[in-house]
Amino acid sequence: MFFNSLTFAIFLPIVFLLYWFVFSKTKSTQNAFLVVVSYYFYSCWDWRFLFLLLFSTLICYFTGIQIEKSTQERVRKLWFWTSLTANIGFLAIFKYYNFFAFSFSEALNSIGLHSSPLLLNVILPVGISFYTFHGLSYVIDIYYKRIQSEKNVVDYALFVSYFPLLVAGPIERATHLLPEIKVKRTFNFEKAKEGVYQIIWGLVKKVVIADTCATYANAVFDNYSSMNSLSLILGAVYFAFQIYGDFSGYSDMALGMSKLFGLDLLRNFNYPYFSRDIAEFWRRWHISLSSWFRDYLYIPLGGSRGSKIKQVRNVFIIFVVSGFWHGANWTFVAWGFINAMYFLPSLLLGTNRTNMETAELHWDFNSIKVFFSILATFSITCLAWIFFRANTIQIAFDYIGKIFTNGTFASQFLQNQRYSYELLLLVLAFVLVEWNSRYKIEPISGKYSWLKMTLCLLAIIALGTYADYKEFIYFQF
Amino acid sequence: MQKFLTLVAKILLTLLVLLMALDWAYTTVYLHSSHRGKVEKIFNSKAENFDVVILGSSRANNHFVPELFEKKGLKTFNYGMSGAHLFEASLMLKLMAERNYKIKTVILEADLGLCNEKESEMIAAKFLPYIHHSEVIKNHFSGQADFNELYYIPFYRYIDFDALIGFREMYQTATDKPTNILDNQGYHPLTSNKPGNMKNDIRALKPIRNKYYEEIKQICKQNNYNLITVMTPMCTNVKGLDYFEKANKIYPEIYNLENVVEGDQYFSSCGHMNDAGARMFTEVVINRFFETKQKQ
Repeated sequence: MFFNSLTFAIFLPIVFLLYWFVFSKTKSTQNAFLVVVSYYFYSCWDWRFLFLLLFSTLICYFTGIQIEKSTQERVRKLWFWTSLTANIGFLAIFKYYNFFAFSFSEALNSIGLHSSPLLLNVILPVGISFYTFHGLSYVIDIYYKRIQSEKNVVDYALFVSYFPLLVAGPIERATHLLPEIKVKRTFNFEKAKEGVYQIIWGLVKKVVIADTCATYANAVFDNYSSMNSLSLILGAVYFAFQIYGDFSGYSDMALGMSKLFGLDLLRNFNYPYFSRDIAEFWRRWHISLSSWFRDYLYIPLGGSRGSKIKQVRNVFIIFVVSGFWHGANWTFVAWGFINAMYFLPSLLLGTNRTNMETAELHWDFNSIKVFFSILATFSITCLAWIFFRANTIQIAFDYIGKIFTNGTFASQFLQNQRYSYELLLLVLAFVLVEWNSRYKIEPISGKYSWLKMTLCLLAIIALGTYADYKEFIYFQF
Repeated sequence: MQKFLTLVAKILLTLLVLLMALDWAYTTVYLHSSHRGKVEKIFNSKAENFDVVILGSSRANNHFVPELFEKKGLKTFNYGMSGAHLFEASLMLKLMAERNYKIKTVILEADLGLCNEKESEMIAAKFLPYIHHSEVIKNHFSGQADFNELYYIPFYRYIDFDALIGFREMYQTATDKPTNILDNQGYHPLTSNKPGNMKNDIRALKPIRNKYYEEIKQICKQNNYNLITVMTPMCTNVKGLDYFEKANKIYPEIYNLENVVEGDQYFSSCGHMNDAGARMFTEVVINRFFETKQKQ
């Protein structure tokens, strides 16, 4: 059940009405209802994975209580590692086992030891990376005594399985979401209105920008060997907007619909393509994941403390692991590695926290510098996205090589029966709208909101792409 | 809450108004166009006279050369469409009959298409802009699973088939951007020098007594159109060539011309002849069905 499907358009209003008119008496009824609805939502993907979700939830719930209760450090550690092993074990089996088995076999073959990998015939459960990380952060926080364990199993189950964030985040923290879950929600008109606007803007990003860019990006990437330089550059740019529109659009819809139920989720995107350097980009892109890795991996490793070598090591670890989190393919590892390389100069020069404020452009010399910094950051980001999108690292290198060798800069007719440049105007209009609303969560609220909302609705129904590309990219992670 | 429900109601109302306005605008554009495709050419036409009309899939579109018929003094148009099934061929003929077309002979390519009664979405979508303006189209689609959505929800059909009749196609129709679909009296020659896939496996296909072929026969009978149904050539490397014999067992009146052009040099891909092959094939058809008539 995709957020942009007709089924979901029926599902959401029914859940909303039942939540506020039938189950709103107490916090317990609200939470119990949302858990049931969330489990139903998840079962629509594949009911068999409900057991996995339930098991993951109960493991963290139970071990969390045991860690807190245990007075002996040895016992606390035992429960902690049991929980970590179980959660990471799930992820390893379902997401990474085949990759490692295959890579190991390939490595043996390359040195002349012939072997065939023992592969598992398993499907990747949708959202496993997201709800596993919810559970992990919860258990780690209890172990380090940052929070107390949750005794109410329904409340904890809602924290893990809350349907707006269940399949593609944002990755919530117990410190943030559990306190909200613990109190009865009352309806707030302004919050709900903001939620509706955010859902509409998320839909624009998904069906108008991401899915339309996808038709072009796919036509270029799937036939990259016959594409000229301009098409290859545009293919990378379109993919950059596809993945941004797809994922941030999903996040906007998740945040927006959560507001309808009186719950605020963590912000996941903050106009990342207006970043002036790569450090700023990572403070604005997939914020809930970046901050998760910062708090649970980078800082425990020492963070920016210690020698420069240690700092560089930590940066590479966090970026490579972050890349690997996205999927079991060397292309994601390469993508993480490239971003670490981008980050390195600012770390070494100590400039990784210079651009903390939102970018501004005026009619002065400094703005030229800002403009070109944004353009340069976007360009290197696009270059890294080529590795993210390509099926193999070799293809990514070929793709980049052909940008420089297939030297014609003429428009090209693509296999989707469109010209490679045709979409640029829409992308440009989108960039302008985003730039003008970069201090807000979405561009609809404020002055002329009704007109802006009507234009968004018009764009969704007239300019949206519906025939293909309904899936969200991040569901596979 | 009441305030919020009012807001949602207003949004839904705005959405409905937009859907209706866009539906009207898109349909109006398509109602005023007859240059970009074969469906709109027929829909927006008045009674015409033809000696020969060709219907079928790409294996009609790429195989019958109207120019050669015209040389014999036969006014001809090739209404074959790449991807079309008999569902669409039947509807095309219904629309022609509704517009009182006077047609002496209908040549129908019915071979591989005999095995299914499904619509071909990429072609069927082209009829949908007119669903509220033609009882024939409405009735033809009424048996389809998504008929209610397509007919009753404004603009749904333009959203569901956005790649075929959505904004881009509407814009190009409104600005009268030319296509080559109607060139060569509808015939699309395959002239590429690149050798295509010269293998095909049609063993899985099973010809059936086809509802839409029966409809076509009925329409021809009612309107005094002489119907010639043919099966057209395929390349030599086909697995399951007995399909054509099986089809003939069900419909003995279909002329099996599968083997009248032989040699891969006459093919662009296994199921499609190139221009040279198409011309050779058309000559055979003319000699077989029209020269004898003229002599008589």
